Amino acid sequence: MITNNMIDKKKLDAMLKRVVKPARYIGNETNLIVKDNAKVRFAFAFPDMYEIGMSYVGLQILYDVINSVDDVACERVFAPDTDMEELMRAEGMPLFSLETKREIASFDLLGFTLQYEMSFTNILNMLDLAGLPLAAADRGDDMPVVMAGGPCAYNPEPLAKFFDFFIIGDGELIQPELCRIYRDMKDASPDGRVSKSEYIAEVSKLRGIYVPSYYDVEYNEDGTVKSYTPNREGVPERVTRSLIDDLEDIPYPKKPMVPIINVVHDRAVVETFRGCTRGCRFCQAGMIYRPVRERSPEKIYELAKSQLDASGHDELSLLSLSTSDYSKFEELAVSLMEDCRQREVALSLPSLRLDSFSFRVLDEIQGYRKSGLTFAPEAGSQRLRDVINKNITEENIYSSLSQAMDLGWNRVKLYFMMGLPQETYEDLEGIAEIAKNIMDMSREKRAGKGRFSVSVSVSNFVPKPHTPFQWEPQDTRQSFVEKHNFLSDKLHIRGVQFNYHDSPVSYLEAVVARGDRKTADLIEQAWKNGCKFDSWSESFNYEGWEKAFEQTGIDGAFYANRRRSYDEVLPWDVIDSGITKEFLMRENEKAKAASTTPDCRHGCQGCGINKLTECKLGGIYGK
Amino acid sequence: MENKYCLTFKKEGYAIFTSHLDMQRLFKRAFKRAGIEIAYSHGYNPHPLMSFVQPLSLGYSSVCEMLEFRTKESYIPEFIAAELAGVMPEGIVVTECVRLEDGKKTLASRCCAAVYEIVIPLGDAVSEKAGSIDLGSFLAQDEIIVTKRNKKKKLVETDIKEKIQSLEASFVDNNLILTTKLDAGSDSNLSPELLLKAFLPFFGIGTDRSEIEISRVELICK
Repeated sequence: MITNNMIDKKKLDAMLKRVVKPARYIGNETNLIVKDNAKVRFAFAFPDMYEIGMSYVGLQILYDVINSVDDVACERVFAPDTDMEELMRAEGMPLFSLETKREIASFDLLGFTLQYEMSFTNILNMLDLAGLPLAAADRGDDMPVVMAGGPCAYNPEPLAKFFDFFIIGDGELIQPELCRIYRDMKDASPDGRVSKSEYIAEVSKLRGIYVPSYYDVEYNEDGTVKSYTPNREGVPERVTRSLIDDLEDIPYPKKPMVPIINVVHDRAVVETFRGCTRGCRFCQAGMIYRPVRERSPEKIYELAKSQLDASGHDELSLLSLSTSDYSKFEELAVSLMEDCRQREVALSLPSLRLDSFSFRVLDEIQGYRKSGLTFAPEAGSQRLRDVINKNITEENIYSSLSQAMDLGWNRVKLYFMMGLPQETYEDLEGIAEIAKNIMDMSREKRAGKGRFSVSVSVSNFVPKPHTPFQWEPQDTRQSFVEKHNFLSDKLHIRGVQFNYHDSPVSYLEAVVARGDRKTADLIEQAWKNGCKFDSWSESFNYEGWEKAFEQTGIDGAFYANRRRSYDEVLPWDVIDSGITKEFLMRENEKAKAASTTPDCRHGCQGCGINKLTECKLGGIYGK
Repeated sequence: MENKYCLTFKKEGYAIFTSHLDMQRLFKRAFKRAGIEIAYSHGYNPHPLMSFVQPLSLGYSSVCEMLEFRTKESYIPEFIAAELAGVMPEGIVVTECVRLEDGKKTLASRCCAAVYEIVIPLGDAVSEKAGSIDLGSFLAQDEIIVTKRNKKKKLVETDIKEKIQSLEASFVDNNLILTTKLDAGSDSNLSPELLLKAFLPFFGIGTDRSEIEISRVELICK
């Protein structure tokens, strides 16, 4: 039964001559994998532009592992830009894959990655462009099984209606398994068809798979969740995330695809470790990727070498939540610096903790062409930094900057959040204070050595599920406006640039991030009102969202600005991240007392993850 | 020895949608993958000593692209061609690599003309047009004026007549095929787009630009 379902390539050719950056749609990258005779086709969908999706390492990882399965092909699809979409709709060209230019609707499996809430309308737009009904219940057996994974899948509920199932947690092992199961069922089927319900029932047995239709949700009168009840046998009360105990021998791409056009991060990337031990209370990644799992230095060198050899990239970057927390960081940095120098490859080390060793490293790799230094104190006062458990002190900031100035840096970027729990105007004043002190210091230290500039970027705090602040209200928009006005007054300082985008995006993020199944209607209505590419300021359409709130009767404040009580059933309680609710509560209570929790490498803090797996680096310095 | 080479290659299939800037990056990486060490300029912002003889517009195919480059050490040209051929994405087809003499001006500065083949589908109108297209009348005009945007983005009128070195037409299937030799290079240059801008309305051809295919078939250097 071979149907090809290819799109009309002549038509595509003519369209490509009429759009901006046609290379986004041609799939001609070095190291791409084309399997003409695959039995099962999986479409990996990134719900944003090519340039964003191709910068995402997770895509490269999953592309590599899925394609390593016999008879299974992984192909890519991104959200077409508006000019291309217009042509596609006008010409009746459905959404297609880059590798073999097949219609997405003809794929067996379609998987979206959920990286940020503001890409959700793009998912609906892509399903629609593919000619697929939005709701999972409306898609028959002749249409792809549609799944999603990624960090936003930790609260799958706002999208529950649109997906057959969600993959929670690490994807490298489960994603190929999902494809193998489908292939085997297809092989065993006399007519080559696979019953969707049988397939979903089969994969639901795997740890990490959440099938929304297997759970009935009841609500209280006040709109909060009353209960989640499995509606069939064998379904767990809560879905535990898929977790890989050890990354060392887990596949990692050795021949990464090399994009043709310039993408956001155009470089070889090696993930050094997953997880973080710092325990910042606002940070979802710091909670859901626990425990820390490192690759060995030897493995990292090997991967770096093969990535550079196979790609020809002239930049290498390391990926983790906190580069310098790698346990053998000095050894790794020194050795990579030497390799990169020999190969004439630039080494980039993001999110470094700025201690004296890091400065030596940065000074050496950047030489005379120093880029700006970046600092994320996140909050303007020690008290508030203690509240959020961002364990850096004013002393850390100033001494680092003093070193930086001595070594010749002339630019620094500071990142803060506004609207953190328990924030007062004094804390905001602290932001201006820090900027001012740095400028004063630069005048003293760098007299006659040219200008020094400080840029202060402030973003709005969005409380996230599975963090200690998951119960906390977000500031109202009115309050954000007032705080912003206050700050911009205070930050009229020579040499200081203040960046803040007063945009309702963070409010929408707060609504959707902690939404329940009812918020699906809001997202769908917003899309119907023309909202898409919501994370791009030039296409963000707040009117469309405002109208959607009115049309659906959904009260945004209920989701964004309401304090939840500890005994409320949260929509994402059905997902077990491995971090206990007790730990999150304890951390939230400590936040209220502005009491810090040390980095758990110095002693286990009891987050609960060691019940799921061995936490190798937890408490290593405490022993 | 300067270790100067010229690589010729074809650009076809989906690769024609790779822009000039992207081609530069693509080759820089291809050389790295092939393990051939390109020489770099000295100075504050070192860049690879590598340049295309004449940029090719986005969407054009070509059988005669030329890349001039210098390497750190001497290679056998055939070795370079073979190594690069093994690491190129689909649609970039290496045809030849030759060593260039030391001390000569760059090929880019010696480039003077390019030959293009332009395929214009006419559909059912082909029989009617076949009789009425008289290139002589087009070329016999005193001047051939088209408007174009200059570097300051202002619309200006320009006469392209002197830049058309030759123009021939033939009909194959339902297509009008133009073969034309146009000025190319830094002294005088004419884009086939401008030729089409004058040609299509002159003969009342309504074919949309997106259906027309243009291929470069020869680059001529002095």
